[in-house]
Amino acid sequence: MKVEAKRGIAGPPHNFAGKGRTAVAQARLILLVMVNVAQLWILAATVEAALAHRFSALLPLVIASAICFGVTLTLIYWWRPSSRRFTSTGYLKE
Amino acid sequence: MNSDLRKTIDNVLSDETDVRRATAPHQRDFPYDREEEARVTRREFCNFLGLTSAALFVGAAAFAGKAAFDARGSSEFPSLQIPNAETLAPGTSLNFRYPTRKDSAILIRTMDGALHAYGQKCTHLSCPVYFEQAHQRLECPCHDGAFDPRTGAVLYGPPPRPLDAIKLEIRGDNSVWAVGREASNEG
Repeated sequence: MKVEAKRGIAGPPHNFAGKGRTAVAQARLILLVMVNVAQLWILAATVEAALAHRFSALLPLVIASAICFGVTLTLIYWWRPSSRRFTSTGYLKE
Repeated sequence: MNSDLRKTIDNVLSDETDVRRATAPHQRDFPYDREEEARVTRREFCNFLGLTSAALFVGAAAFAGKAAFDARGSSEFPSLQIPNAETLAPGTSLNFRYPTRKDSAILIRTMDGALHAYGQKCTHLSCPVYFEQAHQRLECPCHDGAFDPRTGAVLYGPPPRPLDAIKLEIRGDNSVWAVGREASNEG
């Protein structure tokens, strides 16, 4: 019985893992939105620099936008909350 | 009376119910749940943000590329006669196209009789500038910028650099010719 309680089988459900996952997922979303806002600002700066004929500023701005896009890709494809069913070493065992 | 009014309001507002009632015969063949359709999952939203990021990157790169390409454009311009320029009264302006049919330009004869010509695109966000006779200056209606008609320099407002100047040549028969265009850098 004590072992079962420790495993969370017999006692009331404490979904700490679920809450943690939700927090990570929300943080990921917020980061994505922030990167998008930064990219929007970079696009506006690019347009202004181009119209003002400040050509030396164009390349750094495009590189900054590319970095932001790279960060977005890593957020979408790599920075995922870890699965409840799987770990890096395989299945979670009961 | 009050309940009647309430019913009428409910009927008007419940377009969802009306739509369901009207489309009832088709619901079985084409099931469609509006609430379900309107719901966006976290994964879908993440994908949308990813696509937006890609679009913003492509937009910035394309805009920068186009600006750099345009700046490398040919430095040789054709000579083009500006029709009716010789009869232009002092303190007035005339629109023409130079160097191509797509590029609108403006010719101004200032009060001292001198002729000046500029590309008509505002250097802020490319709105067309016009000659404001009352104040004798070139004004941009979009964001309230103004340029000096004698030099093309920015008088006030958001434009970051002077207007592109068009070189003029007055030939023997008093005809006015546009012979070149010079883009200015940030003023």
